[in-house]
Amino acid sequence: MPTRSLPERSEITVIGGGIVGVTIAHELAKRGEEVTVIEKRFIGSGSTFRCGTGIRQQFNDEANVQTMKRSVELWKKYSEEYDFSFEQTGYLFLLYDDREVETFKRNIAIQNRFGVPTRLITPEEAKEIVPLLDISEVVAASWNPTDGKASPFQSTAKFAIKAEEFGAKLVEYTEVKDFIIENGEIKGLKTDRGTIKTGTVINATNAWAKLINAMAGIRTKIPIEPYKHQAVITQPIERGSIMPMVISFRYGHAYLTQTAHGGVIGGVGYELGPTYDLNPTYEFMREVSYYFTKIIPALRELLILRTWAGYYAKTPDSNPVIGKINELGDYYIAAGFSGHGFMMAPAVAEMVADLVTKGKTDLPAWWYDPYRFERGELRGQALQMG
Amino acid sequence: MRPLDLTEKDPSKRITIYFEGKPYEAYEGEKFPVAMLANGVYWLTMSTEGRKRGAFTFGPLPIKVNGVKNVNGRKLKLMDGMKIERQRYDEFQEQVKIDEGKPVLRYVVDVAVIGAGPAGLGVVEEIGGKLTVALIDERTWLGGDMWLKGVEQEGFGDPREVIEKLTDFPENVRVFLKTSALGVFDKGEYFLVPAVRNDQLIEFMAKRVVLATGAVDSIMLFENNDYPGVFRRSDALEVLNLWNVAPGRKVAVLGAFPDEITAELDRWGIDYVVVPNPKRVEGKERVERLIDENGNVYEVDAVIMADGRIPDINPVTQAGGKLRFKRGYYTPILDDEHRIRDGIYVAGSAAGIKPHYANYIEGKLVGAYILSEFGFEAEPCVYREKLGDYEPVARPRPRFQLDSFNAEDVHLCGCDVSLKKVDDVVKAGITDLQIIKRLTHLAMGFCQGRFCLFNGAQVVSQRSGLPMGRLDIPVARPPIKNVKMKVVAGRE
Repeated sequence: MPTRSLPERSEITVIGGGIVGVTIAHELAKRGEEVTVIEKRFIGSGSTFRCGTGIRQQFNDEANVQTMKRSVELWKKYSEEYDFSFEQTGYLFLLYDDREVETFKRNIAIQNRFGVPTRLITPEEAKEIVPLLDISEVVAASWNPTDGKASPFQSTAKFAIKAEEFGAKLVEYTEVKDFIIENGEIKGLKTDRGTIKTGTVINATNAWAKLINAMAGIRTKIPIEPYKHQAVITQPIERGSIMPMVISFRYGHAYLTQTAHGGVIGGVGYELGPTYDLNPTYEFMREVSYYFTKIIPALRELLILRTWAGYYAKTPDSNPVIGKINELGDYYIAAGFSGHGFMMAPAVAEMVADLVTKGKTDLPAWWYDPYRFERGELRGQALQMG
Repeated sequence: MRPLDLTEKDPSKRITIYFEGKPYEAYEGEKFPVAMLANGVYWLTMSTEGRKRGAFTFGPLPIKVNGVKNVNGRKLKLMDGMKIERQRYDEFQEQVKIDEGKPVLRYVVDVAVIGAGPAGLGVVEEIGGKLTVALIDERTWLGGDMWLKGVEQEGFGDPREVIEKLTDFPENVRVFLKTSALGVFDKGEYFLVPAVRNDQLIEFMAKRVVLATGAVDSIMLFENNDYPGVFRRSDALEVLNLWNVAPGRKVAVLGAFPDEITAELDRWGIDYVVVPNPKRVEGKERVERLIDENGNVYEVDAVIMADGRIPDINPVTQAGGKLRFKRGYYTPILDDEHRIRDGIYVAGSAAGIKPHYANYIEGKLVGAYILSEFGFEAEPCVYREKLGDYEPVARPRPRFQLDSFNAEDVHLCGCDVSLKKVDDVVKAGITDLQIIKRLTHLAMGFCQGRFCLFNGAQVVSQRSGLPMGRLDIPVARPPIKNVKMKVVAGRE
């Protein structure tokens, strides 16, 4: 699949071969643009292949609900066209007291306004959806059956293969070392495997975005910091045992579901950093086991196969940074996804491709404005778990 | 005697168990797969895709015991009247008991030695008496692979006599058998080594850690290589010499190192044939015949893979060690004092495949380095010189006839990763081991790649033309041994 040698030139270069960079390249190539992705290791290796697989529209603000509604449409379309696993098995937020219920009623109203069919259900209905749940303390649940999950491995690989079919070039195991800039215009990139001439650069490096911004000499304040979040997977169990993504803020800000392969996957709100260290910790293994077995007691007897860590590349308001940076020629950024990069990627790709090719987009890119930090216009905190 | 018993067992311990509704003779405290083997029953469980599996090749051994699903059959000790049934890997117990669990046991020691084979015992012999030691091994016995040998070992003589002498420990050495270390974690001046013994969580805090974690038998690739009746050499040795049960009445020995098992078979008078080029095993519920590449058919009831051992790299990569490819397998990159990094040493076959005696000397050498670190007088150079006489064993490049196989029936991994699944991904143009791993789930199941990653790397290397040493090898993640969620779920 990936082209191994660095092309001499490329109209557009995407730095970062995670799902965001790969889907941006896919979208641009599909629109006939000449585009190259430079990835320092292998595609997906940064955060995508470490993610919790969830895709949801249940956010708490209009912009993210709209973005995710479009993203889910695209997830559905491409999973059918390209034959990878995307299942609309829903997101089930377990709620344990009136305060939580009131908050979610407000969220549901926003979601319903944009056509996302979330509704409040009873604990008994929640148990019908996931019979393994312990609902003894649950008072209600927020349920949207059109949310879902996808295999990060299959989807990223398929988008990469299709991007190449459309003419994009994916260069792995190549690290960008410097920008070549003349009179405020990008002329090229220096890598550890040679130089590429390019006029437009898209920073899709998420956890490393601040380093690439610094390399480009960007002075605009764009605070993105890497935080270590961990995940666990158990032995595979009968498929269909835990279909939706189950969320419990009461129990450790936990999220868990079953992968298409059968393992129970998920994480809890156990954040370390900012740091680039990705060694899994023993404390996480204990925390996640404590909370998960409270939510689903049957997990007690399942074997933990593995824990691992990935980044939440976080901004102060947990919303990503998407847009053009005006101080340097054609330089764009799509980073700082704060744990939502995988689910948002298809819509973000459309958004960025619109901005690069047309200078505008119908999607709510204004919400992700890179200049909001400098202007002191932080957004409301995006609903986040894990 | 039962059909495959080699010796008379203690009649006072005789019990009856039921497997799939039928009564079988067993002995109290006997391990479940051993009792079934003695009765000539090899097929004990099923993979998620429904492939018949026994206990001695690869994959887990989940079974139903008295109606409770997902019990580890490998560790099950039999009691009279037990009712046992087969299940599929993915069946699990929906109704579970909830208790608070046992309080965590904690030990603070100078040195945690993981692995009680000849290397681990060498370390302890050197440092015991001077430093406090926790010696940890997941098996039920001390002496590792050597304890299973019935024939004399070079440099050592009778293996059991030697081990009995080496395991006469001073007081400051604590031994933890049946204890699986879950990984090594940094905790300031200490390392934390969490471990589990019978659902009991134990936390060791140690100033230094020795990974004497040994090697694993390589799994050979041929059609139906996952079939009940296919034995890893180490499992065949265990049933023979620990339980005195024959793997079969007529067995085929496969692989590049047949001598590692034939002397033991001779000792017990078991009829065997050496087959250098297996293509396929067949049978209804277990191996009934082996067919080689030339079409020769051997009527056998078991096959033993004796294709050499490779270092278990999982404890090494989890602890932060880097690898290189040398002598035909991956080994840890060590500094001048046998460390992967400050404080973490490697000794024995985890560092390179050698005779037991050389592993023991390597253990003594590491012990001497540790003594010097703690300010004791030690003479590592003596052991280093001795160890110099033993060049680690080189592994011949295996000659897989990949294209002559029916790839669907060749299993790289117990978790239903067939050669075909890997080949299909390679044919789609993906030749990166890291991505192939994620698309096929190779090295992502129960063994975390201990048994399957090497073969996966071989196949990818052969298919892509990339040398083994240039593949991006995935790192093992904790826990390095599977642990039930309830064991680590407790809170104080």
